[in-house]
Amino acid sequence: MASAEFLKILVPILYAAVVADYAVAFFTRIRYAEESKRELLLITLVAHLVYLFLRYAAYGHVPITNLFEVMTILAFAIALAYLMIERMTRVTETGFFVLSVALVFQTISSVFIKCCAEVNPVLRSPLLGFHVTSALLGYSAISISAVYGFLYLMLYHDIRSTRFSAIYRRLPSLEVLESMSFRATILGFAFLSLAILVGFIWLPRAFESFSYADPKLLVTVSIWLLYGIGFSARTIGRWQGRRVVILALCGFAIVFLSMTVVNVFFSGFHNFY
Amino acid sequence: MIQLTALSVNHRTAPIEVREQVWLSDEEIRQALRELKQEGFSECAILSTCNRTEIYAAADLPSPQGRPLLDFLLHFKAVDGARPEHFASFFTCGAAKHLLRVASGIDSMVTGDIQILSQVKNAYDLATAEKTAGFYFSRLFQTALRTGKRARSESGIGEGAVSVSYAAVELASKIFADLGKKTALLIGAGETGELTATHLRGRGVGTLVVANRTRARAEELVAKLGGSVIDYDAVPAALHTADIVVTSVAAPGRVLAASDLHKAVKRRGANPLFIIDLGVPRNVDPAAKRIGNVFLYDIDALNTMVDKNLAKRLAEVPKVERLILDELVAFYTWESSLQVSPTIQALRESFEEIRRQEVGENINRFAKEDRELVDMLTKRIINKILHQPLVNLKNGTKEDPAEETMHRVHTLRHLFGLGSHSHE
Repeated sequence: MASAEFLKILVPILYAAVVADYAVAFFTRIRYAEESKRELLLITLVAHLVYLFLRYAAYGHVPITNLFEVMTILAFAIALAYLMIERMTRVTETGFFVLSVALVFQTISSVFIKCCAEVNPVLRSPLLGFHVTSALLGYSAISISAVYGFLYLMLYHDIRSTRFSAIYRRLPSLEVLESMSFRATILGFAFLSLAILVGFIWLPRAFESFSYADPKLLVTVSIWLLYGIGFSARTIGRWQGRRVVILALCGFAIVFLSMTVVNVFFSGFHNFY
Repeated sequence: MIQLTALSVNHRTAPIEVREQVWLSDEEIRQALRELKQEGFSECAILSTCNRTEIYAAADLPSPQGRPLLDFLLHFKAVDGARPEHFASFFTCGAAKHLLRVASGIDSMVTGDIQILSQVKNAYDLATAEKTAGFYFSRLFQTALRTGKRARSESGIGEGAVSVSYAAVELASKIFADLGKKTALLIGAGETGELTATHLRGRGVGTLVVANRTRARAEELVAKLGGSVIDYDAVPAALHTADIVVTSVAAPGRVLAASDLHKAVKRRGANPLFIIDLGVPRNVDPAAKRIGNVFLYDIDALNTMVDKNLAKRLAEVPKVERLILDELVAFYTWESSLQVSPTIQALRESFEEIRRQEVGENINRFAKEDRELVDMLTKRIINKILHQPLVNLKNGTKEDPAEETMHRVHTLRHLFGLGSHSHE
């Protein structure tokens, strides 16, 4: 238990170091940063994994039973997804931006996470694991897509205004960023669909107080609809570039609201802490 | 000991009239290398480009047998109107430093020139082929090539386009992922237009469409670069099929109105449209800049880019100088490690260390009165083992060329793991 507490502090520090390393590699040309960033990311991910296992061992449940446990898993999923994207596309310049999101989630989690909360027995169902895991994977893919969308807009602005900062020099082309953002969105949408599907099967059975008017449920379904509309617009309306990117960013903003505002200010059967 | 000498004629020291006379073709370089070898230089290499001709040569001290490199060059190539001040000479460390500066592009006419590195590589390859690059030059040129590569990857010396047509191509590659799938429309097949189209083709733009008032000229260009021709009047209707539009029409009045572009972008489903306006007066209505997904650049914007990039490159020079110093220190550390007496010292110390350790570990097995004898005996064995090799090494120094000695010392250090030949 003591080692879990220690890692709780160490993991966000490691994330900060990784983000700093990627930032130095992006904005300067210090070779050491360029060479060390991948290894450091790998070390961080391993430490994070160990942290998650230790928590599981110490508290006897998969850490998905409250918001701050979910956030640390979200951070892990984002960093892992980023690592895979980096290996696949060989574009290593966007790490600073994506991993910053992971750092934010992990820091919030480490600060607020409680050591041993009561766990609702309902949350021990295996279907829950499936439901939450796919929702989290969906959310992390959506976060990553938003980061690429944001980078797209920055680069778009830089190119148009002929202001050639580090962004212009180091980022891949607009088309690449758009397709990275779009692919991440597709992935996010697929996982979200799965989460919703499993949710509709499992939730009414597990909760007596289940209601279709639950704020979180409504928000999630509207996000899902929004993305559905986005995809139709892209394929049927041949929407391209900036418009699609802005749509992706709006989607992320609403996801973020769903994760925070709805959880904090609205109550429903869907809250577990 | 090896004495390195370099002679350089470059854009700073001599006018083009002199530089073009001393320029050497690859075949001439081979010939010159053979002659230099006969002159008594143990190793040599020659670099010749449109901006510079340089000879690097190494001879054994204390008696350099060859004539000075300047005499050699003037004899090899009959040069009219050359004065001694058109040639710069460098010696030892200065010559090595000069080569590293050249390879890293900071001595070039356009700071950070990319081509020079492959030209240095070519000079080295020619010398290798003629067997005039031996142990010492291999190390020297590998250091130079590595310095060039490091300068490019660790500083911004080669970053940013420094010509207008390259600036245009660079912008295109920041907007589009795969230029091979893109279509470029060239309006006006003049000289500037042709140059830009050539660059775009060079960077792999998939389809080229040319429109020109005189259709024959457009067809001529297409024959050279590949692609297709459309009528000049058909341009507005075909605009939406192009991803990249280059205009260089020398005529008053606008060639493309903002409304044309607006329509084209709409038909493209908001796909980005990249327009380079090289015309003076401008061919494209500047108001088009405000249309979303239109990236419009005129000649002034591109020139500003080029100027900014050049200034940025110049600001990177100190960083490159530090890199060069770094590599020079490594090179000379290596060189001095190949001298004979410190190597003998190091070898003795390494053997003595092993002896001391073994004796220390086992001394207790011997009777007290024998211990001094064991110490003496082992010392004597070590000395006897080392005697013959060290005598041969020392004698070899006097008779053999310096390069051979260095090679031998290098092997010796490597065999016995004596270190200080880093960067292997």
